Amino acid sequence: MTLDLAMRWTEVLLGLALFLPSLEHVWAGGKERLLFSARAVLCVALVSGFYAPWVCLAMSGLAILILHRFEGPYNGGSDKMGLLILFCLTLAHFLPEPRWKELAFGYLGLQLTLSYFISGWVKIRNPDWRTGRALRDVFAFSAYPVAENLRALANQKALLLAGSWLVMICELLFPLSLASQWTLIPFLILAASFHLSNAIFFGLNRFVLAWIAAYPSILWLQDRFIGG
Amino acid sequence: MLRTVQLILPALIPSWNFFDVIAPSPRIEYALLSASDEPPTDWQPFRPRPEKISVLTMVRRLFWNRHWNESLFLVSCAERLSQGITPEHSAGEIFARMKRDLSGAAGATHFCFRLVFIHREGETLTHEIICVSEAEPLT
Repeated sequence: MTLDLAMRWTEVLLGLALFLPSLEHVWAGGKERLLFSARAVLCVALVSGFYAPWVCLAMSGLAILILHRFEGPYNGGSDKMGLLILFCLTLAHFLPEPRWKELAFGYLGLQLTLSYFISGWVKIRNPDWRTGRALRDVFAFSAYPVAENLRALANQKALLLAGSWLVMICELLFPLSLASQWTLIPFLILAASFHLSNAIFFGLNRFVLAWIAAYPSILWLQDRFIGG
Repeated sequence: MLRTVQLILPALIPSWNFFDVIAPSPRIEYALLSASDEPPTDWQPFRPRPEKISVLTMVRRLFWNRHWNESLFLVSCAERLSQGITPEHSAGEIFARMKRDLSGAAGATHFCFRLVFIHREGETLTHEIICVSEAEPLT
């Protein structure tokens, strides 16, 4: 995959990832309606590839205004990933040297890898995760389960212990999947399924496309520096 | 400028420590008041989650999940408020959304909210009231 193709795929996926959330804010009304109306229009432009570098720059400026509006990211991790993709894309477009462009876009692939590995690392160091207690707590009393009946899953100790270890092992092994495209692609499918399950159980739907939008960067990075 | 850097840096150099510890979890409750000086007694959960949701709703929420995403933002506001991070902004965001949801409540002119944090002590879930807001006019 060439750098240009990977960046184009990232733009399309990011535009799709941010379009519906923008409409959600427009629908909700409030003072931020104007900001998100502008972002929705820019998302359409980004997907169509119309003046992509300038659209990325405009969206980055808008993202900073939105950060100020909410005194931080509106939806935590998914917004952070969206911002990271946007800033890396913008830098990759405007940096003059091909090597610098690669560095900016490669940084996104590196951060995507870290997003899985560090998540696994901080979990496995916590005894509550190793015993399955933490995942039981997520279902028992956290604000995330989308319906009350899901809280009953907190009593499924064996299932949640297995789930905890599956998540931790997959997250920690993610960097090894870079060994070849044949290992990376199945891992990315598995990771996307993980985000999908988080969307179903915890309503974290914005994470799904936000993370998938960064996948072209890791596919490019693997092909560029490792191959196979 | 400094504030902009403070806001951007966590996105450029993220920590990625999702769910490293399961922290006490906030719930927002409200009480409707018939006067600004009436003491709140009848606390109700704000936007309680449904008992169950259908598969169709789950699928729809993969694409359109406005209400839930807003509720997650309010959870962030409650956490920030409890930690003293931008407290006026966080309280304002909670008030604004409550006012939108509660406007038209019969017999009430004001409302207030409180934050209840749930955490586990041994095998028992404990509820702790962290703060109670001032009364706010409904209109």
